[in-house]
Amino acid sequence: MSATPTIAFDAARCDGCGHCMNACVSAKSSDAHRAQPRIQILRDDESGRWGIAQCRQCGDPRCASVCPAAALEKGDDGIVAWDGKRCVNCLICTAGCTFGGIAFSPAEGHVVKCDQCEGAPQCVAACTRGALRYVTTATLYNRWGELEDLFVPGLGGCQGCNTELIMRHTLRRVGSNTVLATPPGCIPGMGSVGYNGMLGCKVPVFHPLLTNTASMLTGIRRQYKRKGRNVTALALAGDGGAGDVGFQSLSGAAERGEQILFICVDNEGYMNTGAQRSGSTTYGAWTATTPIGESARGKTQDAKNLPLLMMWHGCEYVATASTAFMEDFYAKLEAALDASQRGFAYLHLYSPCTSGWRFPSASNIEVARKAVETNFAVLWDYRRDQGLKLSRDIDAPLPVTEYLKLLGKFRHLDATQIAHIERHVAEQEQVLRELAAMHPRERRQVVGHQSDLMAVDLDQ
Amino acid sequence: MNEVVEKTAPLTEPAAEGIAQGPDKAVTKKEPKILVCDGNEAAAWGVVLSRPDMVAVYPITPQSSLAEYVAQFVADGVLDAELVEAEGEHSVLSVLHGAALAGARTYTASCGQGLAFMFEPYFRTPNLRLPIVMSIVNRDGITPQCVWGGQQDAMTVREVGWVQLFCETVQEVLDTIVMAYRIAEDRSVMLPVNVNHDGNYLSNGIVRIELPEQAEVDDFLGAPDVNWHAALDPKRPMGVDPLTGGATGPGPALFVGYRRGHCEGMQNALRVIVDVHEEWARRFGRRYAPLVEEYRLDGADYALVTIGSMAGAAKDAVDAARERGEPVGLIRIKTLRPFPLDAMVTALDKVRAVGVVDRAVSYGWNSGPVHQETLAALQYCPHRVPCLSLIGGLAGADLTEAHFAHAIAETARLLVSPCPREPVWLNAEDR
Repeated sequence: MSATPTIAFDAARCDGCGHCMNACVSAKSSDAHRAQPRIQILRDDESGRWGIAQCRQCGDPRCASVCPAAALEKGDDGIVAWDGKRCVNCLICTAGCTFGGIAFSPAEGHVVKCDQCEGAPQCVAACTRGALRYVTTATLYNRWGELEDLFVPGLGGCQGCNTELIMRHTLRRVGSNTVLATPPGCIPGMGSVGYNGMLGCKVPVFHPLLTNTASMLTGIRRQYKRKGRNVTALALAGDGGAGDVGFQSLSGAAERGEQILFICVDNEGYMNTGAQRSGSTTYGAWTATTPIGESARGKTQDAKNLPLLMMWHGCEYVATASTAFMEDFYAKLEAALDASQRGFAYLHLYSPCTSGWRFPSASNIEVARKAVETNFAVLWDYRRDQGLKLSRDIDAPLPVTEYLKLLGKFRHLDATQIAHIERHVAEQEQVLRELAAMHPRERRQVVGHQSDLMAVDLDQ
Repeated sequence: MNEVVEKTAPLTEPAAEGIAQGPDKAVTKKEPKILVCDGNEAAAWGVVLSRPDMVAVYPITPQSSLAEYVAQFVADGVLDAELVEAEGEHSVLSVLHGAALAGARTYTASCGQGLAFMFEPYFRTPNLRLPIVMSIVNRDGITPQCVWGGQQDAMTVREVGWVQLFCETVQEVLDTIVMAYRIAEDRSVMLPVNVNHDGNYLSNGIVRIELPEQAEVDDFLGAPDVNWHAALDPKRPMGVDPLTGGATGPGPALFVGYRRGHCEGMQNALRVIVDVHEEWARRFGRRYAPLVEEYRLDGADYALVTIGSMAGAAKDAVDAARERGEPVGLIRIKTLRPFPLDAMVTALDKVRAVGVVDRAVSYGWNSGPVHQETLAALQYCPHRVPCLSLIGGLAGADLTEAHFAHAIAETARLLVSPCPREPVWLNAEDR
């Protein structure tokens, strides 16, 4: 699949002026009729923000797949083209598209949709606030879209789970010259190593033991390096396999500086086995082993901060990321992959669990976003030579309760428990603030690694 | 020095043509290098000669000096291998799992608590059919606290599916480590091999040994052949060890097939162990009984059964008894797993009573593990042979010629009085 142009919309810049719609009408009208705009702007009453309805030129367009007359087709130029000679005006395509990208135009007498004006979209030209951009090639999304999806089309995750998103995007970027370790948990549960003799992905993949992922990858990476082959050693593990029972091997490999890319998909518990507590479970949370009862109100300890623990190992690269902030994730994956050629790279992904955390499956990204916007989950990255940097401003977070109230696992919390969580979030925030504010040299001394300390000596 | 007689039961008949012709001829062209060293250094030389790609280590008494020797050999460039100093035995074996699946010939050594901690990947190693060679420098288990020799470690894991070989001498340790790679990597076997040598007595006992020539060992071993059956290699992408069976799966046949294949590999190992020992004798001039050694069984009415280094003192005691006219012989088990049933039955069939000396305890049977193995083999003997359990050498306790003289006397009594149910605790009065 080659990179194709698209029209990108930035809601934060849109003021609803309507110039785009007018420009579209002008471009598509003829003497015979006044056209219906192929772009619609609409206001969301709740948020007050503007949104657009316009054809997204989908990679696998539903409008085309539901069309009984083959009147819609995705072309090599990326445009989903409408063929008036074939169209039978059944309008099924308008039901097939969930984005409002194709609609019936009474004046024109048939369905209409955006065709990007033969490479010069008039709506974009008319937008004075930069809310619309015509993105041609080499953009992030298109670059990633070109890469092969190395997982099978059907993975058996729970509805709405973001882990599939993480898996597909990660393996697309990391590529096929990879050995993938998926220790027991949601990821092999979704079928990474396959079921019934059918494999889940196109790269060599295996179940390590829950306990030894980083150790097995150590052997694999070192053996290929010895034979002169640069094979990426990639782990997609859960928080239990990374931070609880798997922590010893993770810590050992990080300390030895093994060249491994280790991604922890943290859903704060043993979700694949029925949502039991882990060391990563939030204080107060309901889990199957920290139930609510006469004398129990959920977990009674704070979660351990696994990414910070990994930072103190002096890894080559450590970062936290969220599927609500994909561009940030892409950048960190890029950095982690690069770092894993030199040493240990650790990525920690916050992964809200629709099943185990008890929230509607449609809300996953919203939950992930609120976790970040409330500073419940702070996004940062750490490089050995640069120390810790915050990835986004954390100065004006939303109240933590905006996050807590989304989740059934927190439904029972009383005021004392909420205050406890708020205090913990504030403490973690403060620790990260102080680490981020340190001068790189101080940081080197605090986050000491032998070679860094030697570098300090050489500086003097 | 002795009357080591090669056992040739039907399964263990030398297969290749020409092997049995004439006396053994060492084909070593140059004068072998002579070393004076302990068993741990000898084992490390066995590793050097086998040219593994990767060695992972974690120290534990009495194995530590073995790990140190290997590390020093790597540091000195004597051994060109990746050395992974892992953070524990669990990771040691896990690192080797990854390496083997990527095609590496691998080695490690452990014992006692280290082996216990390693158990999770240890359990999986033969099921993945990874031809890893691992020394167990046998150590007793805690508690009571103990860092001394004993075979409780290896005996406890004897049902996990590794090939288990037990050495008598320091020279045999070196030679068996090299042979172990041939056995493990044989395509009809493809199983991990434990080369056991007794903590303290073999690990630290210093003797003269001969070092085979590297070129001749290279010729004997050939290139590593490790992951043809299961690989983690982007050039040959496959899923290793997917979920099997289950209520909605393709049925239990797949799982049964793997278990059965594992058992077949173990049975094949009996033949391969014999062949490899035969070839070793032919090439390097040192002959060891591959499965079961029969010592002075001709004309013997009863015999001791031993395993590991204790056989040295036991043979001396047998010699002394023979001089006194007592009709006693000795059976030494070298291969405990797979259990050499035919060879063992053939040996047992030559006597009317046996006393089995164990350096470990079988708690469930109030006897020793090798005693239980021997009882199982006796089921296949045409006549009934009373079988006494004797337990000694626990936690580093010395088993002297005097202890074996006592064991011989206890065994002789089986010819005239009923076999006691209670084991004889050989060191019970050694204070």
